Parts: sequence; C-alpha cells; structure tokens
Amino acid sequence: MSTATGYNFAYLDEQSKRMIRRAILKGVAIPGYQVPFGGREMPLPHGWGTGGMQVTASVIGEADKLKVIDQGADDTTNAVSIRRFFAHTAGVETTEQTAEATLIQTRHRIPERPLKANQILIYQVPIPEPLRFIEPRESETRKMHALSEYGAMQVKLYEDVARFGHIATSYDYPVMVNNRYMMDPSPIPKFDNPKMSMMPALQLFGAGFEKRIYAVPPFTRVESLDFDDHPFEVQSWEEACAICGSDHSFLDEVITDDNGSKMFVCSDTDYCGDRVAQGFVGSAADLPIAEMETEQ
Amino acid sequence: MPVSSHELIAGFAEPVAASQQVFRAALKVMSEPGTLVETDYVEQAPKGLDLSTWQLALSLLDPDTRVWLSPTLAANDAVISNLRFHCQCPLVDAPKEADFAIALHNELPDLAELNWGTAEYPDRSTTLLVQVPGLNSAPFWTLSGPGIEQTRTLSIAGLPETFCADLIKSRQRFPLGIDIFWCCGNRLTALPRTTAIKAGMTEPSQNDKETC
Ligand SMILES: [Zn+2]
Repeated sequence: MSTATGYNFAYLDEQSKRMIRRAILKGVAIPGYQVPFGGREMPLPHGWGTGGMQVTASVIGEADKLKVIDQGADDTTNAVSIRRFFAHTAGVETTEQTAEATLIQTRHRIPERPLKANQILIYQVPIPEPLRFIEPRESETRKMHALSEYGAMQVKLYEDVARFGHIATSYDYPVMVNNRYMMDPSPIPKFDNPKMSMMPALQLFGAGFEKRIYAVPPFTRVESLDFDDHPFEVQSWEEACAICGSDHSFLDEVITDDNGSKMFVCSDTDYCGDRVAQGFVGSAADLPIAEMETEQ
Repeated sequence: MPVSSHELIAGFAEPVAASQQVFRAALKVMSEPGTLVETDYVEQAPKGLDLSTWQLALSLLDPDTRVWLSPTLAANDAVISNLRFHCQCPLVDAPKEADFAIALHNELPDLAELNWGTAEYPDRSTTLLVQVPGLNSAPFWTLSGPGIEQTRTLSIAGLPETFCADLIKSRQRFPLGIDIFWCCGNRLTALPRTTAIKAGMTEPSQNDKETC
C-alpha cells in the first residue's frame, strides 16, 4: 500500500521496517542494550534525527496520533517538518497535546505531563554509546558492557566532583537501566532523568548515524549514576515560569526585548499552554509573548 | 521440499497495515510480558499453524531470517510451502542456527540447543515461537521484571516440566537468553529473557484452561 504521493507508507520500504522492528523487539527484551541494525538512509538533512525517524516510521500506523517535540516545543522548524513528513507519508493525525498522542518523537526533552501506558516515546539519539568519549573503540565498549565494567564512567564523573565540587554534567547524564546496562539517555537535561524510571510508557531510542536502537520497557528502573557523598540532583530554578507560574517545570531563559531583558518560561510549550488554559498565570501574563525570541 | 501451490493460502489482505498492527501487538506483549492480546488480520493459517503464529511469521520473517521448525511442522507441506512463498525465509536444520524457531509445545527443543547470543551481542539470539494448547492469565506462573509494575500472572498449558525448569533457570545467564512468543489460536503473549518466573504449586488444570 502506498499513499497518494507515491511514497511507501511512512516512507520506509517494508523490508527495512521489518529489520528495524526485529531490532526494536530485541532492544525491549534487553533493556538499555544497544542493538545494531542495518538501517537505510532516510532522505533527510543531517541533524533531523534520522534514527528517531526510522523508529517512528517502523512503529507508526494509521490509528496513531503523532506529537513531535524539539527542545520541548512543538512549533520549531524541526518539529513541524517531522510532523508534516509523517502526516504526508503515513496519513496519520498529529497533535501538540501530550495526553492525546500515542507516539511522541522527541529531541532533547521528556514532556512535563506524566506519560501513560500505551504511549510510546521515541528519542532521537546523536551518540548512543555513553562510554564513547572514554573508549573510542566499539570492540572495547562492547566488552565493557558485556562485563558491566563501568568504573571509567564513575571516575569521569568523580573528576567533575574533584574539579567543580559537584557533578557538572547536566545533559546526556548517564543512567543504569534495570541495574545492568549503562545507557545514554540522549541529550535530555538531567532534570528529565527521573521521569525515565518506572515510566508507564514504552521508551525507544534511535541513533541514525551509528545505526543503533535501544529501549526501556514500561515500569523499568532507570537510575542516574551518582556517589554516596554526591547524590544525583536535578536542575532547579529560583524563578517560576513567567507565563504560567509553574515552579516545577524545566525553564528556558528567553530575551524579551532589544535591551536584553530576560525571563524564564517552560520549555514544554504544550504543558505551559495547558496551565494557562486552566487559569494559571505567571508574572509576565500581560507581555506580548508572541514576540519573544528563544535564546539559543 | 518445493512449494506446493495447492497448499498456498492468502496472507494479509492489507500487508502494510496488518504487518504494522501485528508488530505493535508483538511489541505490546514483549514490552509488557504476560499480557494477552488477540490478532485478527488473517482469515486462516496454514494447517498446523495457529492464527497468531502465522500472523507473527507474516509480520516478522523475511529472507534475512533463518527459521527452524519443530519436527511435525518441518514435515508439514502446508507450513513449509506458505512460509517459503509468503516470507521467503531460509529454513535451517539446527536450532542453533535459527533467528526464529517455531515449535509445538510437545516437541520443544532443549533451551540449550538454541542460540542464546553472546556477551558482546546478546541480541544475536534465537527468538522462539511456541504453539500451546492453552494460554490465559490464571495464577500458575507469577511474573515480575521490566514491563510489569508489580506482578502479572500467566498460565500456559502443555509445557514439559524440564522446559519450564530450564526457562526459569535461564534467567541467571542474563543478558544471554531466549525471548519467547507464546501462541494459542488468535491469542498471543511473550516472555522476554528479563521476566522472572515464579512457578505455582499446581499444574494448569485441564478444566481452567481455555483451549485454543
Ligand atoms: Zn509555563
């Protein structure tokens, strides 16, 4: 079956999908372990997250409702393009509402609203191997995973502590999955790490360049690495969201005018909008928000 | 054995949509072990295969997957002809060489005969599909592990005691192991290698069991 445009359903040919689907099933059976797959190139510019796209293309069906976020926002060029791609090639409905989505493809965030059973969160992963910057050889990192030899990462994090007095890593913060495999959670802020643990939704990770797929099944323990004397901590802010007043979400600093005035707003635009709809207000409720520019 | 055209039956009426839906069912049961789902995307299966086994085959098998069949299935013209025709999967004689093994409950290979993967590549293991005479959620086995919030119960009829014992024991070798789809009529569940199994006191009773 192809769509009216002449593409394969969700672009990928059936044999590529089957191969990726088999890799996903293996990934689910071995939580946190990176399954190699012989992926086909997606016709996309670099940086679009082809790994996430290939996973989404292999999982998605006509009954799905797709949400795509980039840094928490549904309306960036990237997120809009990916949503359009699947609306076009798979004819699926799309949504910006976390609660309505059956599939959520994400780059760099986990939504603030807790995910539910039967939802699938698909991460775009640039570098799947958490040990890569310690050991460049794949044959060696494979051995380290096989033997659970993760001391080198502990040493690296502890060097942070020695140098800065705390663990400076704030994105891509390594985790242990089901007490066995060390996993790269993709470049989400460590603020989101605790959400990965015992999440009712299925989490799938796709790395297009290195052709790896890995997974965290629902209700699986995911623990961020830490030390007895330096326990894992998430980012926190003095400020609340200037739009919705949230004091518990991940905040982005934005410039509000040409004079460099700044304020903090939720990075999760759907969550923020939802709160505003419920009547929550922040300190800048009367500012012309549409004109704000996100600070890069 | 060549393909016998008189044994051929239709595959999925809508192959793209049905393959995706059956994969999602497989993903559901593999990520939430012991959950029972039903798949109804074919009218019939080749004689000797259950509807769920056949649908998994249509969705997951292709020329890249080596398949081993337990003796009765391997001698079944309808099974072989349809697998060859619809999936084009190569058939192998040794379970160890198989990416997928399809077995009847009463002619299961020893777990040790299958490929458990390697320490560096535990994904290079055989996935086992077992056809069983009964499959329901009666509390015979108590399951725990990833995909299960607390515990889940599962009852599978017709399994040899030694196979059950070996399966329970196999969890000690994680991340090596065998992931299993259990098929019964149009019903389907899975137990990946992460699922810890606690055996109950009694056999699944013939009265309780829902036959497929
Ligand atoms: Zn907000």
